[in-house]
Amino acid sequence: MDTSSLIDSLHPLEVKVLSAFGAKHSATLQTEQLLQSTKLEPSQLSMAVEWLLAKSLLDVDTETVTPIVSLTKIGELYFEKYSPIERVLSAARDAAKTGKRLTIQDIQVREGLEPADVSGAIGRLKKEGALLIIQGGCIESTGRASQTAEAMRGLLQQLHGAPRELRAFSETHRQVIHDHAVKRGNAREPFRIDDRVARALKLSPSGIEAAQQLSRQGTAEEVSQLTPELLKDGSWRTKRFRKYTISLRAPRIAPGKRHPYREFLDGVKTQLVSMGFQEMRGQLVETEFWNMDALFMPQFHPARDIHDVYFVKEPIHASSIEEPFLSHVAQAHRNGGETGSTGWNYPFDAERARRLVLRSQGTAVSAHTLASQPAVPGKYFSIARCFRYDQVDATHATDFFQVEGIVLGTDINFRTLLGLLNLFAREVAQAKEVKFLPAYFPFTEPSVELHVRHPKLGWMELGGAGLFRPEVTLPLGVTVPVIAWGLGLDRMAMVALGIHDIRELFTDNLDLIRSTKGSF
Amino acid sequence: MPTITIFKQDLEGLLATPGEPPQPITMEQLEDSLMLVKGELKGQNPDTGELRIELQDSNRPDLWCCEGIARQIRVKRLGVLPKYDFLTTKLKSPKQLHVAPGLENVRPYVAACTATGYLVTQEGLAQLIQTQEKLAEMFGRKRRTVSIGIYRLKAIKFPVTYDLVKPDEASFTPLGMDTVMTLGEMLLVHPKGLEFGGILAGHDHLPFLCDANRQALSFPPIINSREAGEIRVGDDALFVEVTGTDLSMVVLTLNIFSANLADRGAVIEPIEVRYPYKTALGLGVITPQDLDKSRKISIGTIEQALGQALGVHEVAKDLTAYGYEVTTKGKSVTVTLPFYRQDLMHAMDVVEDVAISRGYGDFLPVMPSQFTVGGLSRIEEVSDRMRALMVGLGFQEIISNILGSPQDLRDAMRLAGTEWGQLVEVDNVMSQNFSALRQWMLPSLLRVEAASNRAFYPHRIFEAGEVARRDPLQPLGSHTITVLGGMIAHADAHFSEAHSCLDTLFYYVNQAYSLEPIQHPSFLTGRVGGILSEGKQIGVIGELHPEVLERWQIGVPAVAFEINLSELAERS
Repeated sequence: MDTSSLIDSLHPLEVKVLSAFGAKHSATLQTEQLLQSTKLEPSQLSMAVEWLLAKSLLDVDTETVTPIVSLTKIGELYFEKYSPIERVLSAARDAAKTGKRLTIQDIQVREGLEPADVSGAIGRLKKEGALLIIQGGCIESTGRASQTAEAMRGLLQQLHGAPRELRAFSETHRQVIHDHAVKRGNAREPFRIDDRVARALKLSPSGIEAAQQLSRQGTAEEVSQLTPELLKDGSWRTKRFRKYTISLRAPRIAPGKRHPYREFLDGVKTQLVSMGFQEMRGQLVETEFWNMDALFMPQFHPARDIHDVYFVKEPIHASSIEEPFLSHVAQAHRNGGETGSTGWNYPFDAERARRLVLRSQGTAVSAHTLASQPAVPGKYFSIARCFRYDQVDATHATDFFQVEGIVLGTDINFRTLLGLLNLFAREVAQAKEVKFLPAYFPFTEPSVELHVRHPKLGWMELGGAGLFRPEVTLPLGVTVPVIAWGLGLDRMAMVALGIHDIRELFTDNLDLIRSTKGSF
Repeated sequence: MPTITIFKQDLEGLLATPGEPPQPITMEQLEDSLMLVKGELKGQNPDTGELRIELQDSNRPDLWCCEGIARQIRVKRLGVLPKYDFLTTKLKSPKQLHVAPGLENVRPYVAACTATGYLVTQEGLAQLIQTQEKLAEMFGRKRRTVSIGIYRLKAIKFPVTYDLVKPDEASFTPLGMDTVMTLGEMLLVHPKGLEFGGILAGHDHLPFLCDANRQALSFPPIINSREAGEIRVGDDALFVEVTGTDLSMVVLTLNIFSANLADRGAVIEPIEVRYPYKTALGLGVITPQDLDKSRKISIGTIEQALGQALGVHEVAKDLTAYGYEVTTKGKSVTVTLPFYRQDLMHAMDVVEDVAISRGYGDFLPVMPSQFTVGGLSRIEEVSDRMRALMVGLGFQEIISNILGSPQDLRDAMRLAGTEWGQLVEVDNVMSQNFSALRQWMLPSLLRVEAASNRAFYPHRIFEAGEVARRDPLQPLGSHTITVLGGMIAHADAHFSEAHSCLDTLFYYVNQAYSLEPIQHPSFLTGRVGGILSEGKQIGVIGELHPEVLERWQIGVPAVAFEINLSELAERS
């Protein structure tokens, strides 16, 4: 790494330390001196020094190690409550005054001390002749003082809250400290001895180079922003631009964008147009006539009752139904009329036909198109909002889109119907394998269900289709065969959007809408 | 359409060639066979052999049972429907069922037969009950047009009478009870009386079925007698009757039951029903009876619809193998449905049966070749252009339910009692939340705003979509228009911010507009304008009224606009 990119990579703490050597690049500085000149915390300084050593920008000139004594947590506890050795000794003296016998057990219980601490203290006191162990495991004070106990008390007082160098203590005290310092395998001790390392540091040759460059840079003013003024007077040439940490996360913005579900539907729309389909539009409110009668669903059909369709409260009926469609359809229901059918053989109720409902199937839009002199050949589609009387849950919505359409032509028959479905399978679901199953819809005969092997979802039902019954087409004035088709795309949409609940297609959660990626 | 439960071993038994042991059917064979009946396997329990099958065709009630499914598969295997002798044998003195005068105004028709020699098994009984329920529920429109009763034949003395009595004139112990009660009491207390009593509402005389000893059989279509009308495993002689309001449906239902019982090995003996009033089939009607008339179809019709040349003989073979009776002459076939079907309305129904019999896989798909030009509607083009502009203006698109509640659409917008508050409401409300069509877009936008106070600001949202406006001049009392709604919400949201967006939109669709002060309860007075273009008000823009924000529990100011895109689409 060359010096300038090395400098760019330096942490501000490192820069401070390097700069502390100032103009005297060859100076040797003590840690204490660096602390003063950089005004860093000891921990920050030692971090920066370690980094610079690792980068070989600094060298250690000399190193002095000073042992420092401090109290451990146990030590601070002993300072407050006296050490075990003192407590054992004073317990023994109290017993001697009152003449009571004192066992090791008694001391443990009375003083609440660890057995190891008690036995350690007794051992030392016995060695020093301050205690005797008499018959029956009882202890007895000899009245003599314990050097250790005295030394301990003094040390605890001197070291409480104030670590000191080890060499400041007398030989005897140093012995006591060593005996009672935390060592491996014995953490329950009052003293700790740490080595304080004081270093004399100097710059390495590359460090000197870096420090020189830093000091040169220091003369150019650092700015955070390029401004029109800087450009205008050309003063940007003498500025240094603060470097950014470009690896940070970018601040979040909310762009304007399409809704992911709408984006999906836009894609479907584009595909259908590219296949030669013309879009149809309809009304949200429909008559039973166009929603069902025109589709040859008898008025007693189970899917027509109040548990399947939403009825409009007011007005209850449309003012009229266009003729000759009403008469022709009514005739087809009663006895087939001119359609070659036997009809449903029931009294068709023209009043019922005018009853207003919320459109329950997109096929209603197709029925209107059939009655409006459609082009032959012709292909039509609609993405129509429909309404069903359904309890809303993860898989049922009361208000949803149906993708439906028709194809009219003199070449339309069962085989071209299958051909069209093949096209849908390939274009809409990117499926190469298809299955055609016999199906039932009130308005088509023959009827087919299209199952495809979706590249991600496996076998799924993609749609239903069929040839419109002559009872549907002839009363509406269409004499050529007509394919009626519908695609069920919600499952594909849910996969594209990464959701599992159909209600989330219409979610009110802006965060979710903003963050959904959609398909790509 | 109905989903039924059948058992695999029962199906295998019904498929077996007489005198030979049943052959196990693999799942693959089953799925293939189900195509013949438009059935879909919905679930199965390999331990018990239970299969749950959905039958799609609502015009084929004969398929809503194990026997019917097995029959359609067997016919295909045999290539022809076996003969059902009871349809052709003439009885010298058939058992009789007498219909009482007056029933023509209540529940006019009845059909009945006996079935003997079939020992009712556990599975057979379950199928019998399931078929009875599904047919009465879905084909018989919840027993209104058709209901079925099955009885132990041994307890019955002929002739049976289908009588009409006063509610307190007849009494018996109904199924599910242990006390004797009158017909009137059954309507008041029996669960079935409460469920189905409506069918007989308004009649002061009720249908009553009893035998020659006046022993009660049932109270059609409500409930059977516990005495004679509770079939048990081990019974081997049954009496089946169907009552209803449509003679051909009543006869068809009995035909299906007789075919089912015959398929299980029963000997069917027809019964003669004697009417005191005229029926389409005369005064004496023997049931079961094959009602279907033959129909002549030209081979050209079938071939043209299928897109495939098959020839008369091939078609005849396919239809025979699907249960039809077929004769051929020249370029046409004359077909008759089997006696358990009545769903032939149009030649196209026959076309589909040819295709199913051959298998849809037998037809090679062909692309429709005629050329057409694709395109979007004008309103969709206008809407798409507006949406693109809104996205460019930094708005996030949302998409909402069109069904909402009057509370949200009207009341929370301070529009109750105003012309802006007129809604298309639902009559059969399931949930208040989905009981009216939105009449404008702002409530949809507020719904998102109200739920999104944690999403970082500013909020700029829009939706282009359909709304329904009440209009007494329209034949439907309302009309659907497409509108664009946009809303900006943040701590400093201001009228001019929305105005700038509106201005931009109109600039890029090349339309002139102006704002004029109006009164609109959803907005702050003096900070709301009508959007005027070519002399018409085609939208509104303003700062939302604090009370509206409070009602939606929105804590920041919001400005919004709405434009009628349908109006713009009609121009140029």
